[in-house]
Amino acid sequence: MSGFTGIFDRRGRRRLANATFVIVCTLATVVALVVLAIILASLLRKGIGGLDLAVFTEDTPPPGAPGGLRNALLGSLFLCSAAMTIAVTVGMLAGTWLAEYSTDNWYAKTVRFINDVLLSAPSILVGLFVYVIAVRPLHSFSALAGALALALIAAPIVTRATEDVLRLQPRALREAGAGLGTPIWITIRRILWKASAGGIITGALLAFARISGETAPLLFTSLNNQFFSLNLLKPIANLPVTIFSFALSPYEDWQRLAWAGSLLIAFTVLSINTLVRILASKRRRT
Amino acid sequence: MNDFAGKPFAEAYVAQQPGTNEFEQFVETIPPESTKVDIRGLDFFYMRNQALYSVSLPVAQNAVTAIVGPSGCGKSTLLRVINRIYALYPGQRAEGQVMLDGQNILDRSTDLPWLRSRVGMVFQQSTPFPMSIYDNVAFGVRLYENLHKAELSARVEESLRRSALWEEVKDKLETSALGLSGGQQQRLCVARSVAVRPEVLLLDEPASALDPISTAKLEETIVELKRDISIAIVTHNLQQAARVSDHTAFMFLGRLIEYGSTERVFNNPRTSKAADYVTGRFG
Repeated sequence: MSGFTGIFDRRGRRRLANATFVIVCTLATVVALVVLAIILASLLRKGIGGLDLAVFTEDTPPPGAPGGLRNALLGSLFLCSAAMTIAVTVGMLAGTWLAEYSTDNWYAKTVRFINDVLLSAPSILVGLFVYVIAVRPLHSFSALAGALALALIAAPIVTRATEDVLRLQPRALREAGAGLGTPIWITIRRILWKASAGGIITGALLAFARISGETAPLLFTSLNNQFFSLNLLKPIANLPVTIFSFALSPYEDWQRLAWAGSLLIAFTVLSINTLVRILASKRRRT
Repeated sequence: MNDFAGKPFAEAYVAQQPGTNEFEQFVETIPPESTKVDIRGLDFFYMRNQALYSVSLPVAQNAVTAIVGPSGCGKSTLLRVINRIYALYPGQRAEGQVMLDGQNILDRSTDLPWLRSRVGMVFQQSTPFPMSIYDNVAFGVRLYENLHKAELSARVEESLRRSALWEEVKDKLETSALGLSGGQQQRLCVARSVAVRPEVLLLDEPASALDPISTAKLEETIVELKRDISIAIVTHNLQQAARVSDHTAFMFLGRLIEYGSTERVFNNPRTSKAADYVTGRFG
């Protein structure tokens, strides 16, 4: 009961444990940040040199010729947009069903469980799955298959976000909607979705960021295309696979383009995450 | 002095009088032509728990009926039957009759959105929709009527005036309703309900989260609205019931104990429980 605390009595041990814990946590954070900084620094160092106007205006070149990444950038944008259209439609409806209509019966529990499994499914498996259902029957790699594969990765994220944010809405809001004589589905569409919009958009943006860098599922589905194409039934150029093949090539100008492409993807993902942060903090304030 | 410490008060009160399962009851009647909603022999269940026991009670036409009683006596449950809002939740069911203009709304065939557009409801927690003040008030109207822009605006203004909110919001109708104060939000909810021109309005402790000034404004609104709307209000606040209502129903443990004109129930209660309650001896 004295004020004196030695290093070996209970309070001393506790303080030592506390200090150790804080130091270990700080070190772990530093390691993560240093690795991130190194990655970003080398991306910037090697990528920025390859970034010029031609990257955005010219298509992928044969080795030795000048060129850019236009077809890959547009292809990726097209793939991701198509995938997000599917994912947001399916994800919002599924999430809404889980939150508003399912009565926690075995079917709802199964759907929720499978969605959770899909959330962390290896993307290469998704690619193989779509290969079997969409590439082999059509005898061709295609943009459609690529978009399907990316949608399969994004949809569970949107589903989960939608369900979570709908469940956060107060019960009174549903009753107020219904109390005015609003049919349930209009209450959901016009009131609950509106109240949840911020959270659903956040989820969709995170899903977009996640799929914009996916390579594995595209290798089995959309493959790649040296030329610009928006044909749904033909292979389509895209950034991740282009980076993959250019980075592994022996040609220096291809490698330069791969670095520039990597920088672009990293920058996009970083911007989206920042945007999500800003949106989320705004939502907390209102 | 307090023998009931730690127990819910209503239960403790029963325990004081052993062997009483039936309660003395005193229910006035009102003429059928001034009855808007006639509740007859209503039982209510949350899953297997019975919450209301054979409640029979009229809600008078163009008057305010206050429903009072200690916590957990079934006041809100009773109110939530009248527009069948309870039907949102599986496992809740009502048995008996609730006649609205001669039609039993507990019938399976009742179209719930239609019923709820005739029987509006304002909740304890104010629930503005995430949209502009104007759109909040117009929301229900747009569902049921095809009004021209000018007519709709007139309806919105009329509803906001009747709920004593117009002067405060007329210059910011297009701003988000979420920016209003708690009292304003609650009056907005009243305006939103009134805009669809309901015949009955149910108020579930509408002032319990409001400051005295907002409460006074809301009470004025209630008295104004009863000119053409039949109102049922659940309240914990006996003074409020005395101020705004014409009829008072006192409930206890899921049963209707006493019903009559507010003046009579407060000044000359006929049952011992109602007498104890209105004089503040319990509850």
